[in-house]
Order: sequence, then structure tokens, then C-alpha cells
Amino acid sequence: MAVLEIRNVTSGYGEVQILWGVDISLEEGKLTSLVGANGAGKTTTMRTVMGLLKPWGGSIWFNGQDVSKLPANAMAEMGVVLVPEGRQLFTDMSVEENLIMGASPKRARDLVDTNLERVYTMFPRLKERRVQKSGTLSGGEQQMLAVARGIMANPIVLMIDELSLGLAPVLVLDLFETLRELKQTGLTMMLVEQNVQMALAVSDNAYVLAQGKVELQGPSRELARNEHVRSAYLGL
Amino acid sequence: MDFILASVIDGLLLGFVYGVAAMGLTLIWGVMNVINLSHGPIIALGMFGVYLIFGAFSLNPYVAILIVAVLGLVLGVAIYYVAVQRVINAPHLSTLLATFSVNMIIIGLGTAIFSASPRNVEFSLGSLTLGPITLLGTRVVAAFAAMLVAGALYLFLYRTRYGRYIRAVANNRDAAELMGVPSNRILALSFGLGTMLAAIAGGLIATFFPFTILAGGAYELKSFVIGVLGGLGNPIGALFGGLILGVLEGIIPTFMPTTWVPVVEFLLFVLILLVRPQGLFGAKS
Ligand SMILES: Nc1ncnc2c1ncn2[C@@H]1O[C@H](COP(=O)(O)OP(=O)(O)OP(=O)(O)O)[C@@H](O)[C@H]1O
Ligand SMILES: [Mg+2]
Repeated sequence: MAVLEIRNVTSGYGEVQILWGVDISLEEGKLTSLVGANGAGKTTTMRTVMGLLKPWGGSIWFNGQDVSKLPANAMAEMGVVLVPEGRQLFTDMSVEENLIMGASPKRARDLVDTNLERVYTMFPRLKERRVQKSGTLSGGEQQMLAVARGIMANPIVLMIDELSLGLAPVLVLDLFETLRELKQTGLTMMLVEQNVQMALAVSDNAYVLAQGKVELQGPSRELARNEHVRSAYLGL
Repeated sequence: MDFILASVIDGLLLGFVYGVAAMGLTLIWGVMNVINLSHGPIIALGMFGVYLIFGAFSLNPYVAILIVAVLGLVLGVAIYYVAVQRVINAPHLSTLLATFSVNMIIIGLGTAIFSASPRNVEFSLGSLTLGPITLLGTRVVAAFAAMLVAGALYLFLYRTRYGRYIRAVANNRDAAELMGVPSNRILALSFGLGTMLAAIAGGLIATFFPFTILAGGAYELKSFVIGVLGGLGNPIGALFGGLILGVLEGIIPTFMPTTWVPVVEFLLFVLILLVRPQGLFGAKS
């Protein structure tokens, strides 16, 4: 069953149209990869789903409800959470305050303590640095915090834009391990990831986006064997 | 010597009240990068609020200030939704013009209703004599009240959920939205708190100085100097900035004519901007 459905969505910035009728459906408990070249519209898709951009046309459905017109804060309240490109931490706040901010939606407030414990177990580094200002964390630690803050919101759908950008390979493996753990809890996820090979290996389904349109879609295992995908995105 | 000491203490007491006014200005700047040019008239409305409530119901002025505080909050939220919200993402000139319009409206209406003749709140708490120093009771109480207000603001910002939201929106509005925070409402609340602080400061000043509807202008200028001293955007720095300005105002007249006070204040203002633009106590980068 699809938890989140993007139906024929068009969107853009000002006068410039970027998305030209995107259809994506996120199945419950599944990890879906969104693959595409730089500028293909992956971030734009996530921002439009989240309500940071208003869709020009088409619609977005969450649990059978039309959420096309909801602003980002209302989406977060409902359980659709975005870990944005560029992390967007509260740089003046401590690590722990960032995490507590993550738990702002009503559905997450009562679970603050449980979820804090959970993310501190996932990322012991964050626990060591809980009183440090997030702006002074290393790039990798900041990325952990961004993901952890998303988990604190107790999401039903978690979208992660650029999971591993600029991180050391060991850390990337750790973060992918975290994704597997999250999947085991039944969380529905959408992932944008530069390392297409790893993204396809960890995800169930994938969509290839090109110039604001879905070019290919299918089970990740199949797409990983697709000739076009192999030459254009895997460099094989 | 005793005379100087008395002036310093007097200035210090007044400084707490200046600090509260400046906290209002700097809070709004820190959260939404808006210079509130209606700050002065709202201070004056705080004065008139206490004057009118005291006159009409013979309520204790400090109880009147509580009412004025609530009205100040409501007024600020209304000003935000009517005048500020629509230009919040526009260049600074637009927000300056929007709040300046509010300034003109309040002063225009205020002058029409109250004329420009001075008023004062007929209220006294006698005076307090400590050895060679005599202090006005109302000023001592005002200083304590200002400390309470500053402490309450600190606790609100750092110990409550809504305070955390305000700091989060100030730090990164988009990220706060992503966390489910209705940032526009938080901005309205912040603007309301800023005007509430201005109104409270006005109310406290009204218990010991006479005033007209134009009286807020001078305190608005002081708030700018203090805000820059303490680091614009840093409400706690503003309290210390207020104390410094208060003490200067106490001391300067013992060395030179009182008319020199604003000259020295603005020299200080320019000096700080030149050598330490982040303020003495740092602030948001
Ligand atoms: N704020 C903006 N204003 C105007 N154009 C924008 C804006 N943000 C993105 N674009 C344009 O929209 C197009 C799609 O950008 P988007 O960020 O969605 O790509 P992406 O697939 O996430 O790329 P990347 O892999 O580089 O992150 C690009 O051509 C980009 O230049
Ligand atoms: Mg992107």
C-alpha cells in the first residue's frame, strides 16, 4: 500500500518550471531511492512534497488524504519529515537542543526521552557531544545530527536528501547501516544519495529522475541491472 | 563623592528599566531582523496605559503595568499581522517603512487624543535613605520589577517550549518549519513580546517621570545605543547595556551640563559600531 503518493506533480521556482509531471509512490515500510543527475529535480521534488514549495499542478496524497496545500510545519505534524540537503541545523543550539527541536511535532513530544535514548544508541558520538553547539561539530557529526533530528520527529515517512554528501567512507557505511535498522522498524523512507550503487543496494524501489520527469522506475535490484542506469549513473 | 555615588546608584536603577526597553527592541531584531521604529511610541503607550488605568480605576500602578503588559503583547501581535508580516521577507527598507508607519499612526492618534501637554502619574512610594544616599522609592521598585522581567524573559526563552521555538526560528526559520513549528505564529509572538517589554518599560518610567505621547522617542534612541552596546539581537546583553547607559547618565551630569548626555551617548554608539560592532557582549553572527 502506498503511504505517500505524488501524482503528476509540476513545480518550480518563480517562473522557472523544474518538475514536469512527477509520479512517485512510497510503499509502506519500503525504502525508495530517488536517483538522478545534478539538477534533475530531486531536491525540488522533496521540497514540494514537504510543502516548502507549492505544487503548481498535480497532487500529493498521504495516507489517503490530499496534502497538496499543506505548509511544511503541518506536514511535519502529520509525520512527513525531511532531512534537508545542507543539514539546516540550529547552529546556535546544542546537539541535544537540536534533537529536542526535532521532537516538536505533537506526535513526537511524549516520546522525547525514548527517542533521545534511541538516537544516542545509534550515534554514540552525538551523546558524547550533547552539550556542544551544533555549529561547531565536524561535517560527519553534523550529518549524524541531521538524521538523528529527523528520527526524533517520530516520522511515518522520512525523506533524506543527500545522506552521505562529503562524508568519509566508513561513516557512509555506518549511516547506511542506520538506514537498515530504521527500515526494520517499519519506517517508510525516501532517499536521495550520490552513491547510486549503495542507494540501489539498500533500497527496495527506485525512481530515476531526469529533467524533472521520471525516466525509469522499478525494483532497485532490476534498475541496478538496467543498461542505461549502469552507464549513466553507475559509471559502468 | 557621596553625590557621585548617589548619581551612580540612581543611574543604575534607571538602567535596569532602559535595559527592559532595549530588550524589546533587540529581541525583535534578533528573531526577525526587523528594526521596530514603532518602539518609542509603544513605550509612550505604556506610559499612557498606566496613567489612564491608574486615573480611571485608581488601581495600583504596578497592577496597571500588568494589564499594560498584556495589552502590549496583544498590540504587538496585531501590528505584526497587519503591518510586518507582509514585508517580513522584503528588503530592510520595507520593514523600516512599515514600522515607521505604525509609529506615525500611534503618534498622530495619540496627539489628537491626549494633546502634547505633559502628564504624570500622581503616585509616590516616598524615598529610601541609606546613609548619605537618598533614593526615590518608585525607582527602586522599578529596578526590581525590571530585574524580574529580565529574569522571566530569560527563563521563558531558555526553559520553555515556546522560548525554544523562538530561538529556533531566530536561528533558522526554514529548519524550524521542517520541525513542525508554525514559524509565522512564532514571529508574531516574538514581535508581541518585544512590544510588551517596551510597554512595561514605559509603564515603569511613568511612575517617576512626566511624559507626553512623544516621550518614547528619547527612549527609543537609548534602546538603539543599548542594543548596540549589548550586541543587537542579544536580550541579555541589552540588560547590561542598559546598566552601562544608566550609570553614564548618572555620572555625566556631575562633570558637564546635562545637555551633553545625548552627545556622549551617541559618541559611544558610533565608537562601539566602529571598534566592536558585535557589541560588548557578542551577539548573533
Ligand atoms: N531556489 C531556486 N531558484 C531557482 N532555481 C532553482 C532553485 N533551486 C534549484 N533550482 C534549479 O532547479 C533545478 C533542480 O534543482 P534541484 O535542487 O531539485 O536538483 P537536484 O536533483 O537536487 O540536484 P543535486 O543532485 O545537485 O542536489 C536546477 O536546475 C536548479 O538550478
Ligand atoms: Mg539536491
